[in-house]
Amino acid sequence: MSGRPATGNKSGINGAAAALVDGLRAVLGPSGLMTDPAAALVYAHDASHLELGRPLAVALPATVAELRRVMSLCAAMRVPVVTRGSGTGLSGGAVPADGSVVLGTGRLQALGTVDRRRGRIQAAAGVLNERVSTVTRAAGFHFAPDPSSQSAATIGGNIATNAGGPHCLRHGVTLHHLGRLSWIDSQGVQHDTGHGTAGERGLDLRSLLCGSEGTLGVIVGAELELVPNPRALVTLLAFFPELDDATGAVVELLGEGLLPVAVEMVDQGMLRAVEEAFAFGFPTDVAVAMIVEFAGSEDAVDEDGRRAGALLDAAGAREVRRAEDAAERSALWLCRKKAFGAVGRLAPSYVTMDVVVPLGHLPGLVREIQVIKRRHGVEIATAFHAGDGNLHPGIHYDDRDPDASRRAHAAADEIIGAALARGGSSTGEHGVGIEKLHALPWQLDAVTARLHRDIKRACDPADLLNPGKAVPGAEARYADLKPVPPELTFQWDSLSVTAPAGCRLSAIQDAAMAHGLWLPLGVPGRGREPGLAHDPTVAELLDHLAVGPSLLGTGTPRDYLLESWAETGGGEVFHSGVPVFKNVAGYALHHMLCGSGGVFVRHLAATFQLRPRPEQVLLLRLSPGAGEPAVPDAFWQWLAARRGRLAAPQVIAAADGSLLLLVAGRDRPWDLGGVAGELTELLGPPAWRVKLLAAVPFATAATLLSSGELPAWSLGASDWTALAPLAGADFLPAAPLPTGFIRQGRPDRLWVPQQVPAAAGWQADPVISAGLVSGLPAPAPGVPRELLGRLKQIFDPHRQLPTPSWLAEVVSDE
Amino acid sequence: MSETRTRLVELLRNCVQCGLCLPHCATYLASGNEVLSPRGRLILLNEVLAGSEQAPESYLAAFDQCIGCRACESVCPSGVSYDLLAHGQHLAARRRDTAAGQRPVPAVPEPVLRRLDSVDFLRLVGGAGATARSLCRTTLGDGWRRRLAGGPKPVAQLSRLLGSLPTSPQRDADLVKLIDRLLAGAGTGTAPAARAAARAAEPIADRRPLQFFAGCANAGLLAGSSRRLVAVLTAAGFEVQFPADQDCCGALAAHTGRPGRAADLQRRNRGAFALADTAGAVPIVVEAAGCTLELQSYGREFAERVVDAVTLLAEAVRPALRPVPLKVALHDPCHARHGLGVVTAPRQLLSAIPGLTWCEATEQEVCCGSGGAWGLRYPEMSADLARRKAADLAATGADLVVTANPGCLGQIADGLALEAPGVPILPLTDLWWYAARLDKK
Ligand SMILES: Cc1cc2nc3c(=O)[nH]c(=O)nc-3n(C[C@H](O)[C@H](O)[C@H](O)COP(=O)(O)OP(=O)(O)OC[C@H]3O[C@@H](n4cnc5c(N)ncnc54)[C@H](O)[C@@H]3O)c2cc1C
Ligand code: SF4
Ligand code: SF4
Repeated sequence: MSGRPATGNKSGINGAAAALVDGLRAVLGPSGLMTDPAAALVYAHDASHLELGRPLAVALPATVAELRRVMSLCAAMRVPVVTRGSGTGLSGGAVPADGSVVLGTGRLQALGTVDRRRGRIQAAAGVLNERVSTVTRAAGFHFAPDPSSQSAATIGGNIATNAGGPHCLRHGVTLHHLGRLSWIDSQGVQHDTGHGTAGERGLDLRSLLCGSEGTLGVIVGAELELVPNPRALVTLLAFFPELDDATGAVVELLGEGLLPVAVEMVDQGMLRAVEEAFAFGFPTDVAVAMIVEFAGSEDAVDEDGRRAGALLDAAGAREVRRAEDAAERSALWLCRKKAFGAVGRLAPSYVTMDVVVPLGHLPGLVREIQVIKRRHGVEIATAFHAGDGNLHPGIHYDDRDPDASRRAHAAADEIIGAALARGGSSTGEHGVGIEKLHALPWQLDAVTARLHRDIKRACDPADLLNPGKAVPGAEARYADLKPVPPELTFQWDSLSVTAPAGCRLSAIQDAAMAHGLWLPLGVPGRGREPGLAHDPTVAELLDHLAVGPSLLGTGTPRDYLLESWAETGGGEVFHSGVPVFKNVAGYALHHMLCGSGGVFVRHLAATFQLRPRPEQVLLLRLSPGAGEPAVPDAFWQWLAARRGRLAAPQVIAAADGSLLLLVAGRDRPWDLGGVAGELTELLGPPAWRVKLLAAVPFATAATLLSSGELPAWSLGASDWTALAPLAGADFLPAAPLPTGFIRQGRPDRLWVPQQVPAAAGWQADPVISAGLVSGLPAPAPGVPRELLGRLKQIFDPHRQLPTPSWLAEVVSDE
Repeated sequence: MSETRTRLVELLRNCVQCGLCLPHCATYLASGNEVLSPRGRLILLNEVLAGSEQAPESYLAAFDQCIGCRACESVCPSGVSYDLLAHGQHLAARRRDTAAGQRPVPAVPEPVLRRLDSVDFLRLVGGAGATARSLCRTTLGDGWRRRLAGGPKPVAQLSRLLGSLPTSPQRDADLVKLIDRLLAGAGTGTAPAARAAARAAEPIADRRPLQFFAGCANAGLLAGSSRRLVAVLTAAGFEVQFPADQDCCGALAAHTGRPGRAADLQRRNRGAFALADTAGAVPIVVEAAGCTLELQSYGREFAERVVDAVTLLAEAVRPALRPVPLKVALHDPCHARHGLGVVTAPRQLLSAIPGLTWCEATEQEVCCGSGGAWGLRYPEMSADLARRKAADLAATGADLVVTANPGCLGQIADGLALEAPGVPILPLTDLWWYAARLDKK
């Protein structure tokens, strides 16, 4: 902690401020409102070591109702509000300017119970990240985003910064684990972001709020999507004498189709600091220590571990250790997790950076950082979320030496420049806050930056929500527009694909499949099979999430979208995102607009993340015995435990009362061979009989249709209707399923042949059903339509794009 | 800059302000207020050390409310020293002694609070407490504590004092009855059969001498448990001696701003244990972790002899143990876990008992909010923390809670009475005594 002069709250409180304080105290009581010098000083800080001023007051509402009142009182008095979780942020997002009100969420602690079937839980903003996983462990789940600060950081803070963590490589960042958000606008009015279902179409306010750093609204609660706990883990620790070999090994590892849950590294500087502090007994003469972790079934992770071990060996590792049990595993992880704390021992001050690049550029960036380090004569120790292309170079200096400070900050800016030059981002996890505000213009084009300011104004006209943070100013010189890609290109070493709007999904899939990868959407081989004539374009994917029925439960295009190019109604072209899944520089316009029905922008192109493809798909029939037995809960739990974006099993209720089950995986006895046995044990004859009908290579899965084993309608013949749940309806109708339903592995909608009547609690979504795309359904109740109207005005001021009638009602002409 | 100040400023540099200590600090959890968190207090201290040490009242209040549990020190990845917070507390105590009127109102008057280190007085209190409790129980039933908690404020406060007064079965038979009842309730029905299966311990030839430090709270309030601990130690092969003239360890005096009395007590104890110790370094075994910590501050030579009873038992000869098929949650006293670093020993004891499943609560490292004199000085926060801790322990589904410090015992018992009536709490050594079948000896 560095010594800093105190500014104190000297200005004194003027009349209006005094009235506000009185009003707040009346709402919150003495323990919920603090104006004393101790509170003003403590809440002037967060983990960033940056400071702006002293708050007028600190408000700690105990209920959402109190929070709403705080917000509306501040709005009435035009006093800025800085929302704060636990103040573990590293970019200064939670530090207040003089005279503002800090709004702490720490007392909003409500945590629901696990909805086991859907794998979801409702959490208030102040709940700590780690608590969610602790509480859901018994039910077999955890919350996947695991920032190293997870013991202390709040869910609200995680959402506001779209936090990532070591295990995001496989599972994605916070945005990928959110259902509906509940939030308070700048006037103190509460809203929802939608139904919260995965395939919901519309302008996605959830994507806008997630990562908005408290500048657009206060998140008060969220429905969190949980991930099933793995049955087994294998953790490897490898030491590399050469930095280049290590970064190269990471690229190779993922290119091989192995998908570890985490690939983490620390460099020599970090390793030495950790050793000095904790004496784990790791070698300090190596350039890199790397952790690789696999999760899954015992046999599968065992094989993955062996393959990865051999690969690391061949790539130049001096030694590869494998944790034999949980204790050894936590010892390996401890080294990585203690890294941040150990940094405090290296030097009095440091800049913790957070740059990210597409994986293929990791080796190049790391080499350039070595050059920058020498050029500026600074010490840098780095921790890497290597598999994500995300690194935390920590530049150490003595803040009492002005020249050292200057050199450290110059080096930091050059590192950001180096990441941007490689198509990366200035921040993958920590957010812009005030720390990286100056670097934002290097990364955004002028139209995108203006859209940021317009959106900020639409949500917060009086600029009261965390002003001066995260949003780029009007004066800066912005980067040139990233050129719109004219043709389909694959970045194999970064596992991504860039495609123009007119490109067909099958073109992406065919090339990707040949490389052992796929874009986990739809049915491979579609377009060639008679029942699957409609082959969506990239524009259809982006505008309407129009995947149609999927072979497996795999999420929506939004889940894999990394960046997009679009044109406003007025014809202005802009670009949002970077070709890496970790990026928190600016609002996620691309995610927000994905699924917005062509009503706000015209999509021009996009980059998607590719994933290792399954090798084989099984079709099983589960037939009920005599007396129409109910499907046991255990079966739904078996399904829930296999949820996840990549390849969740899919259930189809056939007309004869049996269930058809599609399961994909690797072509190994333990991945798929055990499934039939497992299910037999679970469902238990004579009540249910389990029969393996077919096992086909994944790329030709669509042939299951022509084989006659699968009813023609089950993979999306033209007479399809999709049923989306109405608000409040459970995605799973009580078992047994009504005849003729197909249920996506991910709980967004049910598919039925058109002749099957809609079940109670579900409504037809004709657009998606037919794979024909037009229009945009009205948003869920609770979504602020006026805000959507204002956003329409921003993106399509002259209504050159289609405007559904519900939207036309709320758009005001200028 | 004074030498202390230079040292503290240097120590403070280790704090990277990460905030990872927040969720482990009881006063932060109870208040949700970062001013009452370790990082908050260090930020305040940073300013105090940079300035004139004329800290504003609100800073001192934050320091004063620090329980001194040291949980933050255990969890800090940067190794930030508790000495910093101790310095803050010291500044607050100094102000408390000079500036009247700013003191918080304690739950019991200061003169009474200061007498709590007298065994005789505590015996009196304990006796009166037991009578009052049984009176409440006969008139209001088993849920008396809950009913009174909902009463008018003075009644609720009084019932809190009564509920949190440490107590354990005085008579051995009552302890056996209590655990037998739990076993019957746990529905395992193995208790009698298991009892028959247990083996008798081997007779022990060479007994090792051991000096027993009674501690005023244990001697005054938990005499039955102390007696059973001695039996346990004897069964483990020790020859337990009781140096006469021993007195309170002095922790309470030190924490209530009476360094003179603390020094006095120290002198007396040194004398008592030195006199009795003729055959060289005979270990001094201590029942309460709080006393252990205080005795360890008597200087190196003395400290080296002091050993915590649970640690000693974990290392000693194991008697034959009967199965106790119960689910047991353990609460680590902060003095043990954060002060002495005793974490594995109690777990070793619990895992040695056949049939017993022990479970970790989620906030294992968080203080229960007793804090000796602290709890009486900040009664409301202390009461909140008691409930929080009890709820956390009960959420494990445990049939029984065990701990190793009288303050925690009373505090958690009171919390359990409100949050999970029917789940009792006992000294860990009482459970061990039962498992070792010493009632049969
Ligand atoms: C040791 C350490 C390790 C870290 N490791 C990681 C890591 O691995 N990955 C990672 O992503 N981050 C990491 N971080 C950064 C930080 O922990 C995350 O950004 C975290 O999500 C912040 O949560 P918080 O509750 O502390 O939020 P705060 O720091 O209090 O706030 C962060 C921002 O979110 C806003 N905000 C907070 N709550 C709300 C709300 N309810 N509604 C609207 N806006 C809100 C604030 O205004 C501010 O802009 C680390 C930090 C530390 C100190
Ligand atoms: S005391 Fe330790 S854990 Fe707490 S903020 Fe400082 S460095 Fe972090
Ligand atoms: S000693 Fe205990 S109460 Fe005091 S700051 Fe540390 S954790 Fe909090």
